[in-house]
Amino acid sequence: MLRVGIVGAGTMGRTHASAYMKLPNARLVGFTDAVTDAARRTASEFGVQAFDSYDAMLERVDMVDICTPTPTHLELVLKAASAGKHILCEKPLGRTLRQCEQMIEAANKAGVTLMPAQVLRFFPEFKQARDLVLAGAVGKPAAIRTRRGGPYPRAANDWYADFEQSGGPILDMVIHDFDWLRWTFGEVERVFAKALTFKGLDHIDYALITMRLKSDAIAHVEANWADPGGFKVDFEIAGDAGMIAFDSRSAMPLTVAKQEVGGGGGGVAVPESPLAEDPYMLEIKHFVDSVQAGQRPSITAEDGMKAVEIALAAIESVRTGKVIRLGGGA
Amino acid sequence: MAVRIGMMSFAHMHAYSYAHCVKLLEAEGKAQLVGVADDDPQRGQHIAQQYGVRFYDSYEALLNAGVDAVIVCPENIKHRPLTEMAAKAGKHVLCEKPLATNKTDGRAMIEVCKANGVQLMTAFPCRFSPSYIRLKQMVEAGELGEVLAIRGTNRGRNPGGWFIVPELSGGGAVIDHTVHVTDLCRDLLKSEVVEVYAEIGNGFCHGDFDDTGMLTLTFANDVFATLDSSWSRPKVFPTWGDVTLQVVGTKGLAYMDMFAQNSTLYDDRDMRISLQHWGSNVDYGLVSAFVESVATGKPVPITGEDGLAAAEVAFAAYESARRGEPVNLPLPG
Repeated sequence: MLRVGIVGAGTMGRTHASAYMKLPNARLVGFTDAVTDAARRTASEFGVQAFDSYDAMLERVDMVDICTPTPTHLELVLKAASAGKHILCEKPLGRTLRQCEQMIEAANKAGVTLMPAQVLRFFPEFKQARDLVLAGAVGKPAAIRTRRGGPYPRAANDWYADFEQSGGPILDMVIHDFDWLRWTFGEVERVFAKALTFKGLDHIDYALITMRLKSDAIAHVEANWADPGGFKVDFEIAGDAGMIAFDSRSAMPLTVAKQEVGGGGGGVAVPESPLAEDPYMLEIKHFVDSVQAGQRPSITAEDGMKAVEIALAAIESVRTGKVIRLGGGA
Repeated sequence: MAVRIGMMSFAHMHAYSYAHCVKLLEAEGKAQLVGVADDDPQRGQHIAQQYGVRFYDSYEALLNAGVDAVIVCPENIKHRPLTEMAAKAGKHVLCEKPLATNKTDGRAMIEVCKANGVQLMTAFPCRFSPSYIRLKQMVEAGELGEVLAIRGTNRGRNPGGWFIVPELSGGGAVIDHTVHVTDLCRDLLKSEVVEVYAEIGNGFCHGDFDDTGMLTLTFANDVFATLDSSWSRPKVFPTWGDVTLQVVGTKGLAYMDMFAQNSTLYDDRDMRISLQHWGSNVDYGLVSAFVESVATGKPVPITGEDGLAAAEVAFAAYESARRGEPVNLPLPG
């Protein structure tokens, strides 16, 4: 039985907590959060303990699950590693490559498992697309497009809007797509990107990123924090023998529209895509099972760092207007 | 008075649709399809017969047959010589896109038409799409606020034939599919492209021509856009391709999928699923506007300069891919 402590009692902390509650080989011990009240509220919701400090929580657990804003990851990881605790850390692993390196070093030295929560690998549409690609379903991939985003995200202290903390949608959001692209199609050769990130706009950001992969395929990634029409994801993998296309808008098996109270008028139709196995649950199960079996998880900390490297290259391209080549020693 | 129109070459398949539109205008008493001339006599005769018009065995003969204007649809590299012939004969020209395969040819075409007092219009039918017109109205009315970025696609399939012989086409997918969306962006933003970056490949057909293009455009007003001009649609794709624009503004986002007005046909005999388009005919809007300009003498809505500006983005894309870096516009020369 793996004892689990979650740091960060926001949306992702709760999502992860629900998963641990269902696992037979893990036990959620409690939460800690920079905002003590938030930790208390969430802890009581799950019937677990709220810790006043991270250090206090570390003493009572075998692993920590880090669901806090990106720049806090380094210190939390280093402390957990030196306390000999295994670590599941939200993406992006670090705000900088140096931070990622320090985390990897610390985890290796302490002999603990460090896995970045690149949960997209557990989303069935993305996992299936990769399986199909590897099985040759589209032949050799030539042009890949992904789109992710919706309204500007809101969170505690509006931290997404602080580029120094979040890295904007390129680092915070489409890091998912970068990781999936690497996992599915291999390493990135060069990146060119344009974005609204540094234009001083109020709560609107948008980026279009073009990449040349080492395989010679061309990939185009859209990062959208400028769409009031709701969160959408799509991808298209076109190869020399076929194409795979996915659009979250057309993959909704259930839509419910409720009459407004009092009748008449227009309600809003809410689409849903229910799954028997929640991707977050699969991710956490994989981590817990790997730790208990003493095996390396399928997503390594190095994978987390590589995804950060691609994102930072895209941001550098936005800043400089230049093509950024990867793998030149980061 | 009906505008008398001659068709110069059917090498580009769009010519069939344009001829059909001339016939529609003929029924309205606005135009008359006078005849056809084509380097390929068999093709030309067949089409002439189909429309019940005369086949002329030379372009000169067609130009001497009392036409007011011509529609020029040969292989891309022949746009210049045919336009020059027509202009020197005093005929107005509607020229298929891309206007030219290099800047020198494009300039020469614009100049010869000016010198001979005839109009030169570039065939950008997407400008006449009711969905695009509606989008443009919304942008102009400020409904999206200030436009910040555009994501465009104009994807299709490898058309084969002369399209994949760069000596005749001037390139592959990039020269074929860059100009439509570039023109729409220029028209929507009222701003010129000042920088182009392109990743270009041949991963679909593995030929000596490009079939994949991912362009990044920056406009003088600081708006950026990407444009996917690839021939990436599979053989079993249910339609020819697409023209899409996603416009991101300070007050909202608009998404246009220009040819989305379809029903789906599931055909057991052909073992094929296909989209049956029921949206408006954009080519009719194009040909109709050309005919009206010729009839009234008012300026054509899409000029030779518009055609060249869009084509120059494709030239710059090739240059960018060669150099591996962004390229500034205007190009020298």
